[in-house]
Amino acid sequence: MVRLDAVGLRYGGGPEILKDITFRLDPGAFCFLTGPSGAGKTSLLRLLFLALKPTRGLISLFGEDVTALPQPAIPLMRRRIGVVFQDFRLLDHLTTFDNVALPLRITGQRREAYAQDVMDLLAWVGLAHQADAFPPVLSGGEKQRAAIARAVISRPELLLADEPTGNVDPALARRLMHLFLELNKQGTTVFVATHDEQLIRQTGAPALHLEHGQLRAA
Amino acid sequence: MTTAKPGPIIPPEAAPLRTLTVTMAVMCTLACLAIGALTLINRAVDQWSHGLSSEATVQLRQMQGVDPQAELAKLQTLLGQTAGIAAVTVMDPKDAARLLEPWLGTGNTADLPIPRLIRLSLDETHPPDLEALANRITIEVKGASLDTHQRWQAELTRMARSLSLLAYAILALIAASAVAMVIFATRTVLDANRQVVDVLHLVGARDGYIARQIDRRFLATGLYAGLMGVGLALLIFLILGLSGRVSGEGLAAASRSLLFAPPTVSLTSYAALLAVPVAATAIALITSRLTLIRMLRNVL
Ligand SMILES: Nc1ncnc2c1ncn2[C@@H]1O[C@H](COP(=O)(O)OP(=O)(O)OP(=O)(O)O)[C@@H](O)[C@H]1O
Ligand SMILES: [Mg+2]
Repeated sequence: MVRLDAVGLRYGGGPEILKDITFRLDPGAFCFLTGPSGAGKTSLLRLLFLALKPTRGLISLFGEDVTALPQPAIPLMRRRIGVVFQDFRLLDHLTTFDNVALPLRITGQRREAYAQDVMDLLAWVGLAHQADAFPPVLSGGEKQRAAIARAVISRPELLLADEPTGNVDPALARRLMHLFLELNKQGTTVFVATHDEQLIRQTGAPALHLEHGQLRAA
Repeated sequence: MTTAKPGPIIPPEAAPLRTLTVTMAVMCTLACLAIGALTLINRAVDQWSHGLSSEATVQLRQMQGVDPQAELAKLQTLLGQTAGIAAVTVMDPKDAARLLEPWLGTGNTADLPIPRLIRLSLDETHPPDLEALANRITIEVKGASLDTHQRWQAELTRMARSLSLLAYAILALIAASAVAMVIFATRTVLDANRQVVDVLHLVGARDGYIARQIDRRFLATGLYAGLMGVGLALLIFLILGLSGRVSGEGLAAASRSLLFAPPTVSLTSYAALLAVPVAATAIALITSRLTLIRMLRNVL
């Protein structure tokens, strides 16, 4: 599903943030990524959703070498990946409903086809009453849930989440983790970056630890 | 359930497009004025070459020791024998003298050896061989020469050609600056929506999809600006046409003839004017599409 081979990354002429990262995620895996702030967790995830190119090394997703991927194939590969951004990246001019529906809408699906799914998912994350609200008026936790809903609405094969529970109370964090586990049961590979040691213990999934640009099992 | 219509994928912040609408409308007006000028020039060339080549003049100068009446008779016989001449009109000497009055004053022409003028109407469907006719006239009739107006006509036509070249150059410049404006506006819109475009890319939207969301607005802008431009130009022609005193007869008459020519003539000029919004729309759509595709490909 995901394979990294001796991957190195540096921004511009700066120091190497990631050095010789080698690991793999098998299909159906559920894995955490931990590490101190500034260790490069977000950077590693950005490599995985093709927002960055590695300075060196090999990355392959779904069995395809992404460094050799032709430009037109990139959108199609991204549609197989759901991403929860640390900074949410909701579109302020669209309602919560439209934000969550975005991954379906850009594939050309009609509103009638996805409206019910979107509403069901919004209800599940506790945002049904905010469907018509715009992100600027949502609380931090509500934005986070909207971002999560957008990441999972298209039932991606790979889910990448960057601090998905940083802004919610422990009860809601467990509920959201439950959603991830539910998706994982249905076959989605899940990779979650988090500082929350308690959440990792509760979930009982393996974790990788990133520090000084190196990755090791936690 | 939530609102029935999904919100626009790209925020409808319209400031750069409003500027573009205004400037493009002005450029379309200028284009229409250039087209109007071009139409008038072409029509004038048509009329000149038509009017002049259906006529020719023979000048018969008085020469010492030559009987003008005998030469005139000889000339008339010769012209009568030539095929392709529809009518021969010998101008009265008094009329000829009157033509000179503005230069010489009334009554001063009596003693002058004013040449006789003979006007020929040519059969346009079977015109005579004017060169051969000119040769015969010079050889057989003393003091006579044929003026076919060709030199005059060539001069006018050459001038008109340069004017219409100028009009085409102006049209080309207008089109080029419209392209530049659209490129600039497209960049502005894209820069203003960089974050949105990033998110769209990250959820897997294709460049073509994103481009369509934006260039739709450019299509509307081009069409709207084009129609406004034509409307404004027609208004200008109308005002010029109605204000003969102010703008001078020439300009007013020209504007009137543009607006109110018989349908057979005005059809082409109206079609040319309507080509302006079509061209504006095409320029706006194609330019913004190409710019978007090129710029979107460069952001990962
Ligand atoms: N676009 C960028 N340009 C230059 N340097 C960057 C850029 N993004 C991140 N960095 C640097 O890379 C390092 C790792 O950043 P990253 O965001 O990956 O850390 P992180 O592990 O996600 O931290 P946190 O836990 O606080 O989210 C940091 O030192 C940061 O300054
Ligand atoms: Mg981070």
